[in-house]
Amino acid sequence: MTDAVLLQAINITKSYAGVQALKSALFELRAGEVHALIGENGAGKSTLIKIITGAVEPDSGEIKLSSSTITHNSPRVAKQLGIAAIYQQPALFPELTVAENIALGLEQTGMLGRVDWRERRRHSAELLAQVGARIDVERAAGELTMPEQQLVEIARSLGAKAKVLIMDEPTASLSEEDTQNLFRVIRNLRSAGVGIIYISHRLEELPVIADRVTVLRDGRTIDTRLMSEVNRQALIQLMVGRELSAVFPKKEVALGDVALELRQLGSSEAGIKDINLSVRAGEIVGLAGLVGAGRTELARTIFGLTQADQGEIVLRGKHVRIESPSQAIKHGLAYLPEDRRRHGVILDMQIGANVTLASLDRLSRYGVMDFKREKEIAADYIRRLGVKTPAIYVPVSTLSGGNQQKIALSRWLVTRPSVLILDEPTQGIDVGAKSEIHALMTELASEGVAILMISSELPEILGMSDRVAVMHGGTIAAILDRKDASQQKILALALGHDLNEVEAQAKAVR
Amino acid sequence: MNLGRYKRELAAAVAFLLLLIMVGISAPSFFSAENLRDLAVNNAPTLLIAIGMTLVILVGEIDISVGSQFAVCSVVAGELAKAGVPVGLLLPCLILIGAAMGAINGLLVGWLRLPSIIVTLAMLVAWRDALRWVTEGTWVQNLPANFQWFGLGQTVGQLLIVVIALIVLVSFSWALRNLGAGRAIYAVGSDSEAARLAGVEPQRVVFGVFVLMGALVGLAALLNAVRFSVVPSNAGLGLELKAVAAVVVGGAAITGGRGTLLGTLIGAALLGTIGTALTFAGINPFWEKAIQGAIILAALVSDVALDRLRISDFGLRSKELSR
Amino acid sequence: MNETIPQSEIRIPQLVAPLRERLFPNNEWVLIAVLLVECAIFGVTGENFFSASNAFEITRLSVEIGLLALVMTPIIITGGIDLSVGSMMGLAAVVLGGLWREAHLPMAVAAIATLLVGALGGALNAALITRLNFPPLIVTLGTFSLFRGVAEGLTRGIENYSGFSQQFLFLGQGYVGGLVPTQFFILIAAIAACWWWLHRTSYGRSLYAIGFSAEGARYAGIPVARRLFFIYVLSGLASSLAAIIYVAHLGQAKSDAGTGYELMAITAVVLGGASIFGGRGTVLGTVLGLFAIVILQNGLRLSAQPAELAGILTGVLLVATILLDRLSRRAQAQPRAQTISEGEEEVRNSQVAVLSAVILAAALLVVGGNWLLIRSLRQDLKNGAAQPNSTTSQTNGHKPVIAMMPKAKGDPYFVSCKQGADEAAKELGVELLWDGPTDLDPAKQNEVVEAWITRGVDVIAVSVENKVGISTVLRKAKEKGIKVITWDADAEKDARDFLIDQATPQGIGYTLTDEAARILGNKGDFAIITASLSAANQNEWIKYIKERLAEKYPDLHLVAVQPSEGDRDRAFSETQTVLKVYPNVKLIMAIAAPAVPGAAEAVKQSGRTDVKVTGLSLPNMNKPYVHDGVVESVVLWNTVDLGYLTVYAANALATGTLKRGDKELNAGRLGKIEVVDDEVRLGAPFIFNKENIDKFNF
Repeated sequence: MTDAVLLQAINITKSYAGVQALKSALFELRAGEVHALIGENGAGKSTLIKIITGAVEPDSGEIKLSSSTITHNSPRVAKQLGIAAIYQQPALFPELTVAENIALGLEQTGMLGRVDWRERRRHSAELLAQVGARIDVERAAGELTMPEQQLVEIARSLGAKAKVLIMDEPTASLSEEDTQNLFRVIRNLRSAGVGIIYISHRLEELPVIADRVTVLRDGRTIDTRLMSEVNRQALIQLMVGRELSAVFPKKEVALGDVALELRQLGSSEAGIKDINLSVRAGEIVGLAGLVGAGRTELARTIFGLTQADQGEIVLRGKHVRIESPSQAIKHGLAYLPEDRRRHGVILDMQIGANVTLASLDRLSRYGVMDFKREKEIAADYIRRLGVKTPAIYVPVSTLSGGNQQKIALSRWLVTRPSVLILDEPTQGIDVGAKSEIHALMTELASEGVAILMISSELPEILGMSDRVAVMHGGTIAAILDRKDASQQKILALALGHDLNEVEAQAKAVR
Repeated sequence: MNLGRYKRELAAAVAFLLLLIMVGISAPSFFSAENLRDLAVNNAPTLLIAIGMTLVILVGEIDISVGSQFAVCSVVAGELAKAGVPVGLLLPCLILIGAAMGAINGLLVGWLRLPSIIVTLAMLVAWRDALRWVTEGTWVQNLPANFQWFGLGQTVGQLLIVVIALIVLVSFSWALRNLGAGRAIYAVGSDSEAARLAGVEPQRVVFGVFVLMGALVGLAALLNAVRFSVVPSNAGLGLELKAVAAVVVGGAAITGGRGTLLGTLIGAALLGTIGTALTFAGINPFWEKAIQGAIILAALVSDVALDRLRISDFGLRSKELSR
Repeated sequence: MNETIPQSEIRIPQLVAPLRERLFPNNEWVLIAVLLVECAIFGVTGENFFSASNAFEITRLSVEIGLLALVMTPIIITGGIDLSVGSMMGLAAVVLGGLWREAHLPMAVAAIATLLVGALGGALNAALITRLNFPPLIVTLGTFSLFRGVAEGLTRGIENYSGFSQQFLFLGQGYVGGLVPTQFFILIAAIAACWWWLHRTSYGRSLYAIGFSAEGARYAGIPVARRLFFIYVLSGLASSLAAIIYVAHLGQAKSDAGTGYELMAITAVVLGGASIFGGRGTVLGTVLGLFAIVILQNGLRLSAQPAELAGILTGVLLVATILLDRLSRRAQAQPRAQTISEGEEEVRNSQVAVLSAVILAAALLVVGGNWLLIRSLRQDLKNGAAQPNSTTSQTNGHKPVIAMMPKAKGDPYFVSCKQGADEAAKELGVELLWDGPTDLDPAKQNEVVEAWITRGVDVIAVSVENKVGISTVLRKAKEKGIKVITWDADAEKDARDFLIDQATPQGIGYTLTDEAARILGNKGDFAIITASLSAANQNEWIKYIKERLAEKYPDLHLVAVQPSEGDRDRAFSETQTVLKVYPNVKLIMAIAAPAVPGAAEAVKQSGRTDVKVTGLSLPNMNKPYVHDGVVESVVLWNTVDLGYLTVYAANALATGTLKRGDKELNAGRLGKIEVVDDEVRLGAPFIFNKENIDKFNF
């Protein structure tokens, strides 16, 4: 790290239709540093980086690059000045090839400029090799998996030869291996003098990669510290502005009968096979594994979103065939999907309607809706889950990420499920909402709900689960008891190592 | 070259070939030089409109007002010629007038973000009725003698029309593939927000595409008008559907971002020759519309059939096909 | 769990939205304002606009489109579209007529079978959309052609089923209690059912969810494919129901039923505030949108303003309402909490304000300009008419109002008729209303006559497009004491007082055939280029041409009949093809006005000097070809005189100088015109050729 200040955001203020997103926010980035930017969702991180990249105009304040003020900022201007960004949702063109996706962000071809296809292909292949990705540059980006898309994004930002590189949750969908690759790339860039703004909810990665950290809360800059001087607890405290009682409020619950049992379940469409797993009433089973191991695919198969063609599903001792989500719901299943904005809630629909969407049958007689009861139920759950909203008739899109997730969750609580599948229930939401959801899970378990929780966050898996099932290559590699599980073991299993081998290693260490 | 990426165009091409083979067997005279020339000349204006429509559909919009604009441009071309504007000047004039009409759509769709199907539906009705009101249905007659074929005579005139259409086709095709502007059209149609973040300005691109569409309508209307010595006031009825159908049969995705002008050429050729081919094959014209509809649906189904072949070894598709 | 959430942060959320938001979630109030403005304007300018019978008449005219719009509403709410509804009406009408007449099924059974066909057609759309995941726009664009094509194919375009029983016709023409049209109850029932279904049931709720996000709805356990399947089937079903009412309304079943109705229905729905992207839309909005359009058309007619204004104003209204909606949404752009939905457009507000102000101002200017122009024109007309009035000393100062209708307003043939009609009206000092369909919709003529009855005119003179269809409404006019004349083409005899007869279909057919025989020397092949394959008049002419050929010219052969759709360019390419496929054809007979110059140009460009063109057309557009010698002759009568004579006859009828049994009529510059029984004879068809064509200018 040098002391040369590369980028400064001075007293940035921005409000959307009367709501203040940023209040005199301050931020400073030096050349050759990785500067983490953290804060709860809604703290203003996204708005700040959008202002830096010119996607949004601030109401007041200025952005200085190498101590000269940027005027008339726009994505185009920012790009020319050497500011590049990787957004949380990969901003790729699904119909276009990987090569073109990379090139479009990089080239300065004007409207009448000529495109050099050969050079495009060569350059993008080279960039992808640098981030350690093996992706055919002629494939359409829409055909890539989520992590592959993320890697393309990273390759693109790498090629920008940017002075300032902004990464918004780059590791959210990456496997461990890819994450390590990414960190290597970041370190290389840092030593080349690039300033990197690194946004992440995974606080545990920050000590590994970041030099300094700035905390935003409610649109204000709370503090900037050297990473080596703060620990995780202190950061959380800065972010929420209050001390959290406990990180994982796990309680021991007396387990009931087996609520969900999967026998040799498989689906060629979903790419999973030979799944044997059972969850008992009151039990929380964690489902760990790398991205692409088949965890979400398993959940989708149980819920009837993809069809099983092998094995069987037994619910409370009864064999059932589930061909659609509506059948699954009738059987007392509920599934909180991974992609909140696309699947978890219907963004433009009113909050109340979202909450009751999965229980319309119960709220209507012969199809006629009971609007009074609908309002009561919606209001009841909004209160119980502490959703911050002025009214139940505003669209869900007006809520922050954490509150949206609570709406998504309450939709399933209204159905009073006996088996609840949670897919990354706390991904991308702020620390406060996270612990509220954890508390809720504990409460549900004590009421006798069987919970299957998919998570990529190992501390969450370890902290919340009674048992941990680890998936690898489309099937379950091993099921560990709470007391036997450790981060190392889970990771090793997820990477495809044999259980005996793993245990032998563990003993040897001991 | 990766043929898989052009499978939709291939499907249309195979259908076109089948049609040609069938006609070739039942009525070989279909392939007489004269008939081919006539088909080329008659379909050149439609092809120009379909080229513009391809651009519009590529950015994820649609323009159903082209038929009405075509009629307005035809009448304007006639009136200008009658008012003494030299035929040489008609070309730039009509392109400008068409572009101006396109710019109205572009303003409303590109800058005000109104849905294009509604805006152009409004324009479809408004232009057609405005023209009816002004002309009261009378044709533009007594045109100067050098209006027809630009005064160049039939053979040269016909050649000129086909050559202009081909030049437009080839140059637009090249530009779509190789110019920044062309790639920007694909980018905006594929994901407008991502395009914005990549430094492309979607509003400007959408606006530009509608202006180009309008300019092509003006050009097509003029090239169509000069084939005759009078200008009717009701030209271009149903042209919008013909153009959209040609583009779709040619394999472009109505949701934007995917499609080529090669496909549009095949689509326009397929739909433009089917009527003539049926007459040559001695099939009753009563069934023509039904067969056209069936072709559009068949193009869709072949598309999915081709997709199914691949989908099985793919598992989860990251992007749903529809909507 | 409460321990983690400090109580202070929880506000009690409001449960009930403000009244305005609940009643008009998509700014539907704008349409109420529009309707009020329309009513205010037309109340002043239109005659008998505010009357119970007019109010009910408006509903009668809106039933078919209303039904389509009502089922289009849920489709658009789910983010889909159905372009095939109009074509499905054509198919359903043909199926109904065919089953009833050809298969001799009882009407009720035929109707049920028709509904079944509609449902099946809808199911085809539904299957392609939901099972194969195709965009609805493209699927229904395909079936739009397919359904209409099958309807034409089944009937060869010619078949026109009529002669339905009175009970069945009551469904579309009758009055309950002498005032309320029968189908009014169907519309009300459909509106109520749709409203209840969309806004009160869980089914409706799930459609909104699908519209906002189909995938999101699937994850919430909503059977998306099944829901979508159902609404497209429903759409097909409603289209066939609309077709049944339409057939009962017009008294005829033909393949052209419902042409262009899909755009009207979509316009009504979108005007009603539904978002084409899905998720938004209400039944109330659709109904308001529907009536905004229908009242606009009706009001313009009652105030005798050009029907073309309706299209222009509808376009402006459409853009203005969505613009307003867009702006008001932007103004409210509420985010109460912190995050802002992504993809929020970053157009500067000032830009939007300026742009929309410019567009609105331009629209207002256009509308205002038109209004002023029309007012002044009307003033001129009145003044112009007033002068001769004073000199020609009319009886008791009452000016007869003569309403005259062509088959199609933009057709050059009728434009020339209008020339003569205007001339006569000026001479006589009568008020002439000239109005008619601007599009291909065969139901439009009835609508116009209904409006004239409401308005209260003295004479209605109609060039009949659909004989059976229009006769019922003409009889109604007669009952109301209005004199009825048919000109150019006749209705049923008892439906009118006089026919201005320029030529019978038989006369036309025979003259054309004789002319063809003369040109070809009684021997050889010829081809016909007709209008559309379902055009009633042309099909009748062709019938007589064939009759004449059979009885008189055994060596003349009609080898092909090709359609031109009334489009000159299409006639051109069809002729080119005919010349190549049938090299022995030596004569092209084009029997639609724009088809003759099209065919002539094709023959000219082919260089085939051995081929001649003849047909039915206007002199002006054919002059160059007649002089070239490509067009041997054009058969027609003097259309200017036809219009002139019609107005004279109408005036005579209104003032009582023309009665049954009269032998002649004094018709201004035409002198004495022969009257035979109830027909006023203009004279035989005229043959324009090189020698005489320059004497005519129309």
